[in-house]
Order: sequence, then C-alpha cells, then structure tokens
Amino acid sequence: MSAVSADLVEHTTRFCRRLRAEGLPLGPGDTLDATRALDSVDLVDKEDVRLALRTALVKRVEDAPLFDVLFESFWGGGAPVRRNPPVIRPDAEEEREGRGASPHRRRTGVSWEELEEFGVPAPSAREALGRQDFATFGEDELRAVTALARRIARRLSARPGRRWKLSRRGEQVSLRRTLREALKTGGEISALTYRQRKLRRTRLVILADVSGSMDLYARLLLQFLYALQNAFSRVETFVFATRLSRVTDELRAPGYRDALGNLSDRVQDWSGGTRIGESLSTFLAGWPRLVDRRTVVVVLSDGWETGDPELLGAALDVLHRRAGRLVWLNPLLGSPGYEPLTRGMQTALPHLDVFAPANDLASLEQLARHLSL
Amino acid sequence: MREEIQRIQQAMEREGYVTDRAVATAVHLSTALGKPLLVEGHPGVGKTEIAKVLAVMQQADLIRLQCYEGLDATTSLYEWNYPKQLLHIRLQQDGTSVAEREADIFSERFLLKRPLLAAIAHQGRPPVLLIDEVDRADEEFEAFLLEVLSDFQVTIPEVGTVRAAARPSVVLTSNRARDLSDALRRRCLYLWIDYPSLEKELRIVRTRIPGIDERLAREVTAFIHSLRRLKLAKVPGVAESLDWAQALVALHATQLDEELVRETLGCFLKDEEDLRTVSARLDAGELAALSSPLA
Repeated sequence: MSAVSADLVEHTTRFCRRLRAEGLPLGPGDTLDATRALDSVDLVDKEDVRLALRTALVKRVEDAPLFDVLFESFWGGGAPVRRNPPVIRPDAEEEREGRGASPHRRRTGVSWEELEEFGVPAPSAREALGRQDFATFGEDELRAVTALARRIARRLSARPGRRWKLSRRGEQVSLRRTLREALKTGGEISALTYRQRKLRRTRLVILADVSGSMDLYARLLLQFLYALQNAFSRVETFVFATRLSRVTDELRAPGYRDALGNLSDRVQDWSGGTRIGESLSTFLAGWPRLVDRRTVVVVLSDGWETGDPELLGAALDVLHRRAGRLVWLNPLLGSPGYEPLTRGMQTALPHLDVFAPANDLASLEQLARHLSL
Repeated sequence: MREEIQRIQQAMEREGYVTDRAVATAVHLSTALGKPLLVEGHPGVGKTEIAKVLAVMQQADLIRLQCYEGLDATTSLYEWNYPKQLLHIRLQQDGTSVAEREADIFSERFLLKRPLLAAIAHQGRPPVLLIDEVDRADEEFEAFLLEVLSDFQVTIPEVGTVRAAARPSVVLTSNRARDLSDALRRRCLYLWIDYPSLEKELRIVRTRIPGIDERLAREVTAFIHSLRRLKLAKVPGVAESLDWAQALVALHATQLDEELVRETLGCFLKDEEDLRTVSARLDAGELAALSSPLA
C-alpha cells in the first residue's frame, strides 16, 4: 500500500465505518479493499476516487444513492461531516466488527409483487368455497379446510433437494458407483447402483394471534391449525394474545372437539388484547432451538399491537435472521382497500419475507407456495 | 483519470464495446485487486459482454459457466468420463490388481473438466471465468461457489488437490431474479449497469452496426428509449435495439415508418401484452412522438 498515506487510510476507515453505521453490510476486509482500490487509481481525480470506492464498497445498487450522499460529505472538499445522515435505520448505530454482515435491511419488495398474484381465482371446483370469507364460514367447511391442510402437508414433506444419495431404487443410475463396483468383476457390470435426490425437510412453526380483534377468523384458522398439526408431524403451533402458549400437544387430538377442549383448558386469555412483541420474545426465549434455516415461521395476526412496537421489531429481526423464511399472514389484507398502516404492521413489514392475506381458503391455498423452502 | 483505466476503456471501445468510466474502473480494479467482479443490471445491457471483451483484451481464454436451477458439482466442477473408463477396463483384461486398475481409471486422463475445474486447472495465461446468471442457480450452489472463489482450489478424492497456478479473472453476472447472499456480494467488487443514456446507446448502435443510416439510428434509439418509459413486461435492452437496427438495415430502411415498425415489432418486444400495448400506441398515431429524441 505504498502510495496511500496513513491519513488517507484513516479517512477511508472512518468512511467505511460510517457506511456500516448506515446499514451497508461491510466488514474489515472491505476497508482493506477500499484502500487497495484507492491505491490503484489516480488520487487527485475525484471521479476516480468516487468510482473506486463505489466499486469496492457498494454491494447492491440500492445502496448507491446513500453512498453518493455520504461520499460528497466525506470527500467533497473538506466540508465537515454532517451528523444527520439522510437515511437512518434505528438499529444501525450498534456497530461491532464482524457484525457488519448481519442483514439489517430487508426486502419486502418480492413479496409485495407476489401479492398481485393473489387476485387469481382458485380452480373452479373449489372456487365458490374458496372465495368465501372466513368470517362468514359455516360448520360444513371443516372438511375443505382439512383437505387443504393435507395438500399443504404433502407439498411440505415431499420436496426433493439438490443433493443426491445412493439408494436401492432411485430415479437415476449412479454411474460413478456402478463403475466402481464393476471393477471387482473385471469391468462387467453385474448390478446397477441408483441414486435419488435427498428430500428436503422443512419444519413449520406457527404463531397464531387469538386476541379479540381476530375473533372473526380465529375459529376457522384454528380448524386449519388443527388439521395441519394432524396432517404434518414437523409443525409446532403456538397461540398468543397477551401471553404465549404452546398448543402443539393440545392440537394433537383424535377429534377437533377434543382439541378445542384441550385448548380452552390450556389457554386463558382468549380474545383478550394483543401483545405481539412480548409473545414473540417469550417464544424466542423459551424455544430458542426450534427455529433454524430449515424452518418456516408463520405469524398469523392482524397486527393490532397494544404492546411495545420496538419489542416486536427486535423479535421479528431475530426470527428473520434465524428462520429460513418468515411469513406474516394477515386476514385483513384480503379485504379490498386495506392498507397495513397499524403501528404493529408498520414495524413488522421491513422484517418479513412474505406478507400475505389469510382471510379465505384461496389465500391459504396460495400459502403452500411460501411454505416450502 | 488513471492511465490504466483509460487504456482499458480504449481497448474495450476498440473491441466494439461502448463503455464508460465506471465500467472501465471496475474492470481495472477487479484485475488490480484480484477480486471477482459481480455485474448486475437489467437483461440485455451488456453484462456478459464485459467478460468476453475482457478475454479478448487479455488475450486469454474465456471459460463460461451458465447457471441454471439445479446446477450441481458434476455439471459445474468435474465428472468422470464413464464410457471411457468402462472401455478401458474392458480392454485391459490382464492380471493387474483391482487397486492398480482403480488408480488407473481414476486418473486425470479420465476426468471431465467442467468450467470451474477447467478454469482452475488451466495452463498458461490465466483465463477469464464467466459465471453467467448466477441468480438462476440455487442458494446451495452459491455457497459452493463461494468456497471455490475463495481458494481457487478443488479437492478430488481420487486425484488430489488441484490448485490454480494463477488466479483466473472472474466475472459474475446477475439479472436479479433472486437476491444474492451478502456473503457472495462481499467476496466481489460490484458494478451496476443501467440502461445507457440516449447518446451512449446511439454510439453503441453506430459502433456495432457500421452501415446504419444516421437518421435511422437516431430514430431507433429514441423509439426504444420511449418504450423503456412505458410500463412493459419485458423492457427491451440494448441487445434488442441492436437486433432491431440490424433487421432494419437488412430491410434497407433509412427511416422508421409505421408499417415498418409494425412488421418488425417482434425484434424488440417479446411479450404478447407488450405487443398489444405498443400496437395501440401506433394506432393512436404516436410513432412520431415515440421516435423523436426528446427527453
């Protein structure tokens, strides 16, 4: 690093630290790259310096505008650095080496685009039922919900992965192994070895809101949870209003009525207020090993948070980083003209992978797509 | 501007790749720092072209790995040449032991080098490795790629470890079909290529299609630029401009007229809905407005 003076190195380091504080995923290695990049360009040419630093430090185009603003304030002719950055993320200030890579910023963009697809009606046979809002559901629809839960469970369990394993009877002949075996018999192939794709195992954790504001939907969603719990073994179900309860075992009952009975013994705060953030924190503290990269976490709630929204944001951030996917189902999202403006929903949105409606069967049918990793 | 960057820009232009300072700087830094270059941008803005031009400039071989869903180590790294192994075993019916025969057929002669291994084991001048549309491969492959890109060495159980004598220049491209992991991004230098400005695109058309009538070139680029402002499903890229201009030249056109545009819509619109949208515009007599180079 011959040509780059100590001053410049220091200035570059400060610049990187600032970018990191703004949420750019930079580590110590990137600072080094930035200095090396400066070493390879013409330092008196400001445009050279800008392009070099941008190439080394901006890792996605969305970060480019922020970079440009900060570059101007840092390198634009000695003007003092403004303390008020243009974009502030509340959690960005905590800055430690090595944590730079943690993805603070979330992309809700994809899921929002996908939302448009939800307008597509379900296949004709199920259409009449599918478009009926859960709020107006009668007794007979239980069977339809059960069938749907089975379909979802089947898709969850039978997803072939990318890796192969040897097997007696598989989809492909494993030439590599077969030839190795053939060596013993002088190149004569006596038996074929097959291989098949390893199944990807997904686990499902459902956190369902059963507070007062969800009353209209709770009954049918519970039926759905019950059906899912009994169709698919790798699902853990929790319900919450002001407190969180694990109901996996309660739901595993021979009949829906038994399950309901178990539930009402176990859960005391049906239809109370909602403390989503607190409930999620309880979940994280009490069952820390339940969520990993192979886990899809589904939060089922309308987002009417009466507790501390900051707690909710923090809990969702942790969940999002640990889980393979974080899905939020909101029954209200299905109603025309609904906008997720409640405080709770606003806090939640940046942390979600998928934000989708859950007010009728058709929307639950779509859910299957988001559940397989 | 640093001399090397200027030289790169000139060399790229010589190879018919119209470029700007940002691209030249990124290519220069990628070489100087020995880091892979991740190029993102809309389809058809010339991402892949960078690697090709780079290979020509460095007089190096271009090794290309086209990514797709389900791409795995046997198609990207190496595979044994089974038919050849089989034949060899059958031909060699003497009394050699199983161990000897095994060592024989699992030697380098029977190894099929897929692009990644080919780039690592390449002899002579280090090649340019193009990993195209990396966003199409699944996340597991991305993790595997990270491993290869950090060490440039591969261990084949039967042969041993193959190490790159000199690191190849690596260019990765992505259309952003899926967001790439931060880990992969951090391993690379980053370049975003936007749609070119009107002047730059005009220069591209002139450079790539030397015989084109000046007026036609202007109208074509202006028309495509107008289209990019419409809400189309498949926005035409530079590649589409070039295809269209090429087609028009083949039809001996010197300027756009409505009939000509209708006949050649297929050159730059690849979606039925888009075809209808643009046809409606033409029906409304908007050709002149669309093909005049206003902002």
